[in-house]
Amino acid sequence: MRRNRLTLTALYGSLTVGSLIWMVPVVTALAISLLPIGQTREGWWNGSLSQLTLDNYRDAWDQGVSQYVVASFVITLGSVAVSLVVGALASYAFARLEFRFKRVAFFLLLTTMIVPVQIILIPLLPWLRTLGLDQGGLQYLGIILVHTAFGAGWAVFMMSAFFADVPEELLEAARLDGASHLGQLRYVVLPLALPGLVSFAIIDFVFVWNDLLLGLTLLDRDHQPLTVGLANLQSPHLAQENLVSAGSILVILPPLLLFVALNRFYVRGLFAGGVKG
Amino acid sequence: MTTSVKRSPHVSGRRSSGDHRVGGRKRTPFSSTRKSGKKRGPSGGAFVTPLMVIFSLFYLWPVLQSLISSFFTWGLLRPWDLFDRSTWQFAGVDNYRRTLSDPEFWHAGANSLLWLVLFPLLVVGISLVMAVAIWHARRWSVLFRTVFVLPMTISLAAAGVIWSFVYNSDSHIGVLNAVLKALHLQGTLDIGPLHLNTTGQWLADPGTLNLGFYDVRLVNVFVIIAAAWAFAGYGVITFSAGLASLPQELIDSARVDGSGTVQVVRHVIVPHLRKPMRIVFVVSVIFALRTFDIVYVMTQGGPNTDSTVLGLLPWQQAFAFLTSPQAGQASAVAVLMSAVLIALGFPYLKSMLPRKESR
Repeated sequence: MRRNRLTLTALYGSLTVGSLIWMVPVVTALAISLLPIGQTREGWWNGSLSQLTLDNYRDAWDQGVSQYVVASFVITLGSVAVSLVVGALASYAFARLEFRFKRVAFFLLLTTMIVPVQIILIPLLPWLRTLGLDQGGLQYLGIILVHTAFGAGWAVFMMSAFFADVPEELLEAARLDGASHLGQLRYVVLPLALPGLVSFAIIDFVFVWNDLLLGLTLLDRDHQPLTVGLANLQSPHLAQENLVSAGSILVILPPLLLFVALNRFYVRGLFAGGVKG
Repeated sequence: MTTSVKRSPHVSGRRSSGDHRVGGRKRTPFSSTRKSGKKRGPSGGAFVTPLMVIFSLFYLWPVLQSLISSFFTWGLLRPWDLFDRSTWQFAGVDNYRRTLSDPEFWHAGANSLLWLVLFPLLVVGISLVMAVAIWHARRWSVLFRTVFVLPMTISLAAAGVIWSFVYNSDSHIGVLNAVLKALHLQGTLDIGPLHLNTTGQWLADPGTLNLGFYDVRLVNVFVIIAAAWAFAGYGVITFSAGLASLPQELIDSARVDGSGTVQVVRHVIVPHLRKPMRIVFVVSVIFALRTFDIVYVMTQGGPNTDSTVLGLLPWQQAFAFLTSPQAGQASAVAVLMSAVLIALGFPYLKSMLPRKESR
């Protein structure tokens, strides 16, 4: 019994210490973002609670971060919406219907989970120009479609797994009532697979929000998302740790809040279909 | 979160809850369509068309363009165009030959190899230890698990930035240096082939490991640590789900047979987690080879090219200097990378492809 108690203490002790160490990077960024830069330079851990201020956030916001935030939301929400609509339609077919080249199509979709984005990146720039998706707000449409295409494997893999869970008997009943395939999808599959759709939406949100490479390469400076904005702020030659840290917290926050609020869906989604690397 | 992890019956199962059985057999996305999916209204083709159009235009076609254009000499100022013969400056296999004889390519390849070895090891090792410890703890396990899983949602760009604070060479900002300074551990350390510089230049000049034929630049290790921190949560989730399905009787009977904790971990827990370990390993290998974001943010491949990886190379070649006609060569690098990834990931891909139904 004694030995047991000792091991338990050691276990909880090391878990607590481990957790604290694990939090250090986030705590560092959070502290620097909330302290005046002068205090940061004298050791942010010496700062006191009375010094906490949102000035860094205001300054970062005024220095163009607001624009990045807007772009991030437009790109992310747009990509999730398009992926949900076209992905759900396709997933219904993959889960429930027969069509030609089904396996080949599925395999090609899955390759997006393996290959690096770099394989589409280089020709994309001239290709988007050819399509006229390289100007002003149309850039958003361009990158949304690219995100949809590169996330298609994940979307279909995950949503078709959830759609396959819907009991066949219910679809049978709907068919007897004269429902078309679209009707079955709309009134039977989608409501029953709603948790699955939420899971996909969250994971896709986190993934698109966190993208750096596509935004960096395909968009001009006025349309880049927050991750790129952060990379632009982060320059070894500029000593603006206060702005950079505020920016990093802003990048982290939306996916983190989603994760905390809808944790169950997020975890469920991961197990619905491997994970997006 | 834990409730769903714990309830999840199998780690890598396609579905996390209630497999519905139709006529006594499990449904997969590909099953029983022939029998019950008799044509009514639009066929499957109509449903996949919107997605496949977008997929073809913004994935398949660019992939094809990358493949073909890697045999031409071109730059982004004068892009290669399949339908415009005047842009065709055929190079044969020159782009590939030049790439394969380019020391910078092999240098980036060596760094990527380091990622390939170290990153999955770190991720699997750290998350396995954490998951087992959390599983043992039971009380407060939700809290501990949340702490270790949270970084997973953090963008790698942001993870790179906040780790740059930790590594900051100014010991008033960088925690790591502040701690080392307080402990009077700053200096240089030479242990055999290892040359470690602990004066705070973690991302500039942290030292090397001399393997005799090659100097491993330790700056990569510090970037990899940051990436593993951001990725380990995936392993924790996966292993936790695997542990949740471990029958308590198995452990009890091992205990009755006189096994200690270490033996239980070695002979009961780890074998039970073999499948989740394989998944976490494969996914982190893929991740390691595709790495771009975190290196770009933390070091831009520097100092010099010490931390360049394969993922960074095509981007630098094609986009860093728009005037250079290196896009063909950059495409060649991307093609080679993809080939390696497809080859490594093929078994994984096949395992995700539903089995053909024989009915």
